[in-house]
Amino acid sequence: MRNRREILAAAAVGIAAPSLLRRAWAQQDAIEIGSLVSLSGTFANIGEQVDIGSKIAIEHYKTGAGRPLRYVQLDDQGDPGRAVRLTQDAIRDRGIRFFMNCTNSAIALAVAKEVASSGGVYINQAGADEMTGSLCNKNTFRWPVATYSAVNTTVRPFMMKYPDAKKWYTITGQYVFGDSLLKNVKDVVGELGGQHVGNSYHSLSDREYSGFITAAIAAQPDVLCICNFGSQTIDVLRQAVSFGMKRNTKIVVVWSTGLDQFQSLGPDICEGVYFGANYWHGVDAPGNRLLTGVIKDKLKVTPSYLLAAGWACTQATVEALNKAGSADVPAVIKAFETLSYEGPTGLEKVRAEDHQVLKDYYLLLGKPKAKMRDKDDYVDVVFAEQAFLSPDKTGCKL
Amino acid sequence: MSAQVLIFGALNGVGIGMIYFILSVGLTMIFGLMQFVNFAHGAFYMVSAYAAFAIAQWTGSVLPAFLISPILAAIFALVSERLLLQRTYSLPHEAQILITFALAILAQESVTMIFGTLGKNVPVPEVFSGVLILGGFVYPSYRLFVVGVAVAVAVAMWLAIERTRFGAMVRAAAENAEMMGLLGFDSRKVFMAAFAFGGALAGLAGALAAPLRGVEPLMGREALAIAFVVVILGGLGSFNGALLAALLIGITQSLMSMIWPGGAHLMIYGVMTMILAFRPTGLMGRS
Repeated sequence: MRNRREILAAAAVGIAAPSLLRRAWAQQDAIEIGSLVSLSGTFANIGEQVDIGSKIAIEHYKTGAGRPLRYVQLDDQGDPGRAVRLTQDAIRDRGIRFFMNCTNSAIALAVAKEVASSGGVYINQAGADEMTGSLCNKNTFRWPVATYSAVNTTVRPFMMKYPDAKKWYTITGQYVFGDSLLKNVKDVVGELGGQHVGNSYHSLSDREYSGFITAAIAAQPDVLCICNFGSQTIDVLRQAVSFGMKRNTKIVVVWSTGLDQFQSLGPDICEGVYFGANYWHGVDAPGNRLLTGVIKDKLKVTPSYLLAAGWACTQATVEALNKAGSADVPAVIKAFETLSYEGPTGLEKVRAEDHQVLKDYYLLLGKPKAKMRDKDDYVDVVFAEQAFLSPDKTGCKL
Repeated sequence: MSAQVLIFGALNGVGIGMIYFILSVGLTMIFGLMQFVNFAHGAFYMVSAYAAFAIAQWTGSVLPAFLISPILAAIFALVSERLLLQRTYSLPHEAQILITFALAILAQESVTMIFGTLGKNVPVPEVFSGVLILGGFVYPSYRLFVVGVAVAVAVAMWLAIERTRFGAMVRAAAENAEMMGLLGFDSRKVFMAAFAFGGALAGLAGALAAPLRGVEPLMGREALAIAFVVVILGGLGSFNGALLAALLIGITQSLMSMIWPGGAHLMIYGVMTMILAFRPTGLMGRS
């Protein structure tokens, strides 16, 4: 005869079983999306923000192709080798097929190759042109613009506005991305009748730029153009302004991350400086209203580029899953290639020929502190355009 | 490139060198006195820079931080020394490196938890916001102020070490702590005071650097790398060597930024390697 404890235990199992089964079924049914973010190491300041943006987007959209979404954080610690190993493990051990995000181009290029060979789908924020150029592949998509677009949306309108600003001096981070920006700046400046009077390369480990700035001042340029990304851009600009370069030289930062960099610099340094940016929270577009509303609701902050970039890659993946109506990889790739949706920068479309998301890039002008309407209103958008190389010139062969 | 531009480059290099000197003098002093390898030196610098940021936010100016932040860094150094580091004096250098490195990571992660991973701006004080123009040479007033502070610190330290009773005790403790103890002096107190002073110097460097480069959690690690180059090149524990090495590094970096920009940072280590090849103990180090 059964005692009271056994009967109670059996009853408890009976009551809990349906919920446990439902949970197990839901876990089985969920679409897992691997997110490559650097949460420690040199790029942790980037990875943390991208991670938050993606998590919030997953919480907001909840489902893709009618199935629940599950966010799988893969902390690559800023190391491309580790990123590849994490991707391999996620594919082999968990059967993950969908990946997103990166904190630098080296990681994105390495992961893209791995995902392509395993038959998955990957969308990232790489800056390197190779992502939708010579190293493009069928399984990978890129949200931010290429360096060609960034330069043509900043330097070109700037030169149209200031036709007398002929002499350009560049300070460039010596790596693939910096070089790519520099090449495009030289092309546009030359094409519009300007003169590139000099360039100072600096290594990725430099933190002291006064020597480069002294050299730039000696060249007496009309424009100082900064070709880099991240914290070095902040330091170069801060030191250039401290050396009084704003007195008689205009400054153009071709590629910035927007709000977070402006907060690091402060309004006095930003005032009068031209910045290129992939995202600005003040843009009036349905997708941006949604993004800023959700971020402000959840975090009580204004979204920066990094938060928006994490959101954007997640949103694009969800849109593609919904359009495909299934998590079948070839179907999702096909859906991606004809995707058009209201993203953070307005209407965003994916170009099938090179898997580049076609979206606006912005030229921003730092405004005086007295004219800031709120604490995050650092700039005015003075120009926005979708300027992309034609697919036959990108070097991408899918 | 004209001679005038190179002269400007050299002058700018003197400025960079004096900033590097103030960053590294505390490190060389602690090593010279206690034979202690302090990898937490960059953490004192970073914590003080963040303190300067907080003070600037609170008061609207970073100027009070130039006094308060070094004191906070000295307290941080003193507490670290009393609770943890004094137990490691008798341990091999490898253990000291590991323990101080752990302390540095602890400080870095604590700052990240409080202030986040993104960099913060510390505005240059209004009074030093302009530039000095001499012919074609432009130099920020704030950098000139920092160079002035560094020169004052160098002179004050030299006088304190060479011309005061405390300086004599410090030199004696550095030469032979055991003998000093036998003569009735408490060398532990001298070490403690010196460690706090080293922390205060790192703190002063951090507070002064905050308006120059902003603050971010990894800044201590970068500062430590430069400080070690200066200390090793100058000769471990040598005050005069640190000054000479800092100036040499600063001028090299500035001139190479003009002559071979891509190799400017590389040449810091190139100069160190060349000099150590001929003088393994550094410019003014003792074997």
